[in-house]
Amino acid sequence: MKISNIKNQNAKIFNKYDYEFLSKFFKSVTTYILTVNRRFIYYFKLWLFMSKNAFLVYILDRFSFSIFLFGKVMRFLMYFVFLYFLVKGTKTLAGYNVNQTIFFFLTFNVIDILAQFLYREAYRFRSLIISGGFDLVLAKPVNPLFRSLLGGADLIDLVTIPPLFVATYYVGSLLNPTFINAILYLLLLINGFIIATSFYIAVLALGIVTLEIDHTIMIYRDMIALGRLPLDIYKEPVRSILTFLVPVGVMISYPAKAMIGLISIQGIIVSFGLAGISMFLSIRLWKFALKKYTSASS
Amino acid sequence: MPKVDRKALKKYISVFTISFQQEFAYRVNFIMWRVRNVMQFFLIFFLWDTIFATPGVNVFGYTKAKILTYVFSLILIRSLVLSTRSVDIAPEIARGDVSNLLLKPINYFKYWLTRDIASKVLNLSFAIFEAGILFILLKPPFYFQGNILYILFFIVSITAAIILYFLLVLLFSMPTFWFPQQSWGFMFLLLVFVDILAGGVFPLDILPVGIQKIALLTPFPYLLFIPTEIYLGQLNYSSILGFLAVSMIWIFVLVYINQKVWNSGLRAYRAEGR
Repeated sequence: MKISNIKNQNAKIFNKYDYEFLSKFFKSVTTYILTVNRRFIYYFKLWLFMSKNAFLVYILDRFSFSIFLFGKVMRFLMYFVFLYFLVKGTKTLAGYNVNQTIFFFLTFNVIDILAQFLYREAYRFRSLIISGGFDLVLAKPVNPLFRSLLGGADLIDLVTIPPLFVATYYVGSLLNPTFINAILYLLLLINGFIIATSFYIAVLALGIVTLEIDHTIMIYRDMIALGRLPLDIYKEPVRSILTFLVPVGVMISYPAKAMIGLISIQGIIVSFGLAGISMFLSIRLWKFALKKYTSASS
Repeated sequence: MPKVDRKALKKYISVFTISFQQEFAYRVNFIMWRVRNVMQFFLIFFLWDTIFATPGVNVFGYTKAKILTYVFSLILIRSLVLSTRSVDIAPEIARGDVSNLLLKPINYFKYWLTRDIASKVLNLSFAIFEAGILFILLKPPFYFQGNILYILFFIVSITAAIILYFLLVLLFSMPTFWFPQQSWGFMFLLLVFVDILAGGVFPLDILPVGIQKIALLTPFPYLLFIPTEIYLGQLNYSSILGFLAVSMIWIFVLVYINQKVWNSGLRAYRAEGR
C-alpha cells in the first residue's frame, strides 16, 4: 500500500470521528444553552410573580408604605446634608473634595439599596426557620436559595432607586471621568454587588445554623455602612481589614475610586478575585447550612 | 417625707430582676447588639479623627480632644438614654397582649419604665467595658470636665433625656391602638428622627443656624446632643438653663399628650388576636 493511500485512509477515519465528536459537542452545548435559557426564563417568571405579590402587600397598605418611604428619604437627605456641610466646612475629607466624598456616599447607597430591593426576603428568613416553614420551601421545585433571597422584592426601595441613580450619574459626571473610568466604575459596581450578594447568602446560611439572623443582617448593614465614606479615613489595621478581610472597601470604595481615576490594575484584579472567592465561600457555607437544617418546630 | 410603699417597691424590684435575667436569656442577641454599637462608633470616631488630623486645628468650634470626647461620651450616653425595652409596647398592643398587664395589679407605665431601667443598667455596664477597651486601643485625647456645676447640669440633662425618650417611645407606640398593622412603622419613624436629629452621628452645630434652630424646637436634640454639649462645656450657664427648661417643657407636654392618647387608645383597643 502506498504511503499516500494510508494517509488518506487515516484522514478519513479521523474526519469521521472528528465530525461525530463535533456534532455531539455542539448538540450538548445547544441543549445546555436551551436548558439554561429555559431555567432562566422559569426563574425570571417566578421572580416577577413573587415580586408582584410583595408589591400588592404594599399597595394594600399605603399608609405603611408612606411611613417607611418618608423615613428612608429623610434619613438619606439628612446624612447627605450633614456630609455636604461637613466637607464644605473642612474643605477636604482624607484628601477628597465635596463632590468626591458625596460620590462615595452615593455609590454606597446604590449597592446597599439595590441589594435591599432584591434581597428583602432575607429579612423575613428567620420566621421561616424558627417556625419550620422552611420545609415548605425545600419541598417546592424551586432552588431554596433563590426563594429565600429573592422571594419578595421591596417596593419602597424600588421607588428610591431611579432618583438615586440620577443623583449618582449627575455627581459622577461632575468628577469628569474618562470613558475607561466610567466603564471600570460600572464593572466594579457589579463586582461590589456580587460581594453584597455573597454577604446575604452567608447571613442566610448563618441563620439556619444559629437561628439568629436579624442582628446578623444588621451587623452586615453596619459593616458596609463603614464604606459610606472613603476608606482612607480609617487607620491601619482597620483599613486593611475593611479592604481585604471584610471586603467593604472592594465593594464600595474601589468603584468610586475607579471613577475618580485612583485605582491600579492590581486593585482591579484583587477586586474580581475577592468577589469570586466570597461567592464561592458563601455558596459552600449555604450548602453546609442546608445539611444542618433540623426542621425544628415543624 | 412621702412614705415609701414597700410592697409596691418590691413588685418593681421583681420586675427589674426578671427583666435583667431576660436580657441574659438571649445572650447572642445582646452581644450582637453591642457589636453593632461598636461598629457604628468606628465610623464616627475615624471620621472625626481624620478631620482633626492636623494638630491644633479647630473646626466648627471644637478641638480634637473635645470632638473625640463627644464621640466617646456618645457610647455611654447612648446606652443610658437609648437602651430600652419599651419598644415592645407597640407589638404588645398589636398582638392584644396588653390586656394581660392591664389586668394585673401593676402600673403599666411604671412596669415598662422599670424594664427600661434594667436594660439601661445592663447596657451601660457593657458600654463602660467597651469604651475602656476602645480607649486603650485608640488612645484618643480626652476632655475631662472639672467644673462641678457643669457635671451637675449634665446629670440633670441625662435624667431629663431618659424620661423624654421613654415618653417618646410611648407616644410612638400608641398609634398601634388604631393601626395594629403599623406597630413597627411608627417606631421606625421615631428611630429615624433620633438618628438624624439627636446628634448621635454629628454635633448639630455643624449645620447651618436655620436648621439648628428648627432642630432645637423638637425634643430630639435634648436626648444626646445637649447633654454631651453640657459635659464638654460648650454652653454657657444661661444657655444650659434655657435648654434644660425646654426639655422640662417637652416632658410636661409629652406627659399630657400621652395621657390623652392612652385614654382614647384604650377606648379604641380591641384586643385583636386574643
